Amino acid sequence: MRRSDNAACSSDGAVQPARRPAVPGLGVRALRVRALLALTVLLLSFAAVAAQLVRLALQSAPRLRMTMVEAAPTTWARPDIVDRNGRLMATDRAVNSLYADPQIILDLDEVIEKVTAVLPGLSAAELRKMLADRSRRFVWLARGLGSREAQTVHELGLPGLGFRTELRRFYPLGPLGGHVLGAVSVDNRGLAGIERMIDEEGLAEPARGAERSMRPAVRLALDIGVEHAVAEELRRGLKQFVAVAAAGLVIDARTGEIVAAVSLPEIDPNRPADLLDPELADRLTNGTFELGSVYKILTIALALEHGLVDLDTVLDVRRPLRVGSHVIRDHYPQGRPLTVREVFLYSSNVGAGMLALQAGTERQRDFLAKLGLLEPMRTEAGNVARPQLPESWGRAETITIAYGHGLAVAPLQFAAAAAAVVNGGERLTPTLLLRPEAPPKAERIVSEATSASLRELMRLGVTHKAGTGRRAEAEGYGVGGKTGTAEMPGRGGYREKSVISSFLGAFPMEAPRYVTLVMLFEPHGTGETRGRITAGVNAAPVTARIVERIAPLLGVLPRLVQAHTPAPGTPPFDAPPQAQ
Amino acid sequence: MSRRGVRPRPMHRTLNLILLLLALASAFALYALKYDTRRTEARVQGLERSVDKLEGEIARLMAEHAHLARPGRIEPMARALGLAPIVPRQYLRVGAGPPAVAEAPAPARAQQR
Repeated sequence: MRRSDNAACSSDGAVQPARRPAVPGLGVRALRVRALLALTVLLLSFAAVAAQLVRLALQSAPRLRMTMVEAAPTTWARPDIVDRNGRLMATDRAVNSLYADPQIILDLDEVIEKVTAVLPGLSAAELRKMLADRSRRFVWLARGLGSREAQTVHELGLPGLGFRTELRRFYPLGPLGGHVLGAVSVDNRGLAGIERMIDEEGLAEPARGAERSMRPAVRLALDIGVEHAVAEELRRGLKQFVAVAAAGLVIDARTGEIVAAVSLPEIDPNRPADLLDPELADRLTNGTFELGSVYKILTIALALEHGLVDLDTVLDVRRPLRVGSHVIRDHYPQGRPLTVREVFLYSSNVGAGMLALQAGTERQRDFLAKLGLLEPMRTEAGNVARPQLPESWGRAETITIAYGHGLAVAPLQFAAAAAAVVNGGERLTPTLLLRPEAPPKAERIVSEATSASLRELMRLGVTHKAGTGRRAEAEGYGVGGKTGTAEMPGRGGYREKSVISSFLGAFPMEAPRYVTLVMLFEPHGTGETRGRITAGVNAAPVTARIVERIAPLLGVLPRLVQAHTPAPGTPPFDAPPQAQ
Repeated sequence: MSRRGVRPRPMHRTLNLILLLLALASAFALYALKYDTRRTEARVQGLERSVDKLEGEIARLMAEHAHLARPGRIEPMARALGLAPIVPRQYLRVGAGPPAVAEAPAPARAQQR
């Protein structure tokens, strides 16, 4: 309306005065001024938009370059790791990391002097090297500082230094379970063990700053209490028998869950450099060993399974076995023929060799393959050391493998195989993670009857007065097992004085719930053991002490032979010691 | 069209005035609302920050608790107090012993935590 009026105004306004102005009381001039004003305002605002665009275009270039120069510092947020009872084993903690922008640093000498005074872990020379390059804009100086250290550095008030909060893995239990957990890099990425599994499964996510992972915790099969008890008792055994190293393992005989896995000396996951020290390697999974007589469990299972003998079959073990120039003798010669039961009891090498020969190389190899001893094994924490198979598998190897020499496997792999023989005859896959439900029906390896015979033998090895494992008896828990003392291979043969003594046990023997393996590396004879270094005097008693401690933790009730009725006058068990 | 048609009638004027006042009032209301929203947003942000901070604190305390309750530290303390691992003699079958000692401690629990 108004526009058309205006148009009329301007077109013929010059010729004749407007009959009716668009806005009453305003002349044409005023209208022009108004239009001009509006136009100016519009123009100005467009100019402002244009100026802003130009400014942005000019400014974006250097900012882009800066982000290119600066390494994007990301950390990885990882889920917590807890034991089977939900107790914390690993968690992420927010820490302050100190960085520098060399371009902004004013006085290099002052910075180096003051920072090294506050953080003695930094070397002045290294710091100078890092900060000398003025073209860099971002250099990490110290990562994972505590809040107090960060505060003191902050209070120095040096320009060019700054802090970023990032996540740092923390293992509150220290070295306990260290070999299972593994370790992480400075960027919080898994390097080994369960930590590497977390990365491989994609459970670790890149995070900016100190944002913790929202994922549920990874639940291990380990029980911290049991792990600690095993570690403590091994440490005691290590000291008592002056051994170089020790290892202990507790596996659930039905589910394959690894309840405790200890290898001494331990690694502390809080110090990732420990992973590089070969002395600290996990002996349960990273090394292969010939374990000696504990293999006789498998040899006798082989002979029984094929129906070649029964426990009362008599073998003439008086004559030593000849393998080429080598003669195989018994450590405890009885000077009479032995039954299969006695072959186990007296740990007769000749007897075991004869049984293996009776079965034959082929069947022996098939049997060990069925037990999974010839194939590489894997757990969630990575590959287990590959089994060391003999180059050729002839008569000599058949005999030596029968008593545990010539085939070296990782102790964990052996324990899993032995557990399968003991648990009723079903294959067992060791796992470090808690099994949410019962494992699927496993492959049968030996018959129920063979397994029962082996259980009888293993219990006999502890209860019989001549059994090599009688020091493994833990009152009430029905421990059974087999000792093994293997000479360690050295230059040009075996070293007689350096042995690995081991004890493979299970409890309670009539229906085993847990299988244990205790190993002592290079124990020495002491006054207590009257100079002996065989497993019966060191690994067996350590097993007994471990079982006594862990059985209550695992809810295994002792067998009460008779109802406990204290004689009148005896103080109750919980009376203070001085009253007893 | 006559001039009279253009000039607003008194009734229209009142209406316009009312509408203007309404517009002003709603503008104020809107402003107040927006201001309020900003304040609430700031509060939400503050609360979220403190939630994050507290969560971090909880995680830190949990780690500290786990560190302080590690078995390697508890065991020497327990032993110093005269405690020891449970032994089979301490178990009783219910009904087997005299009532005074029949309350054997629960087997696993007592040790596990």
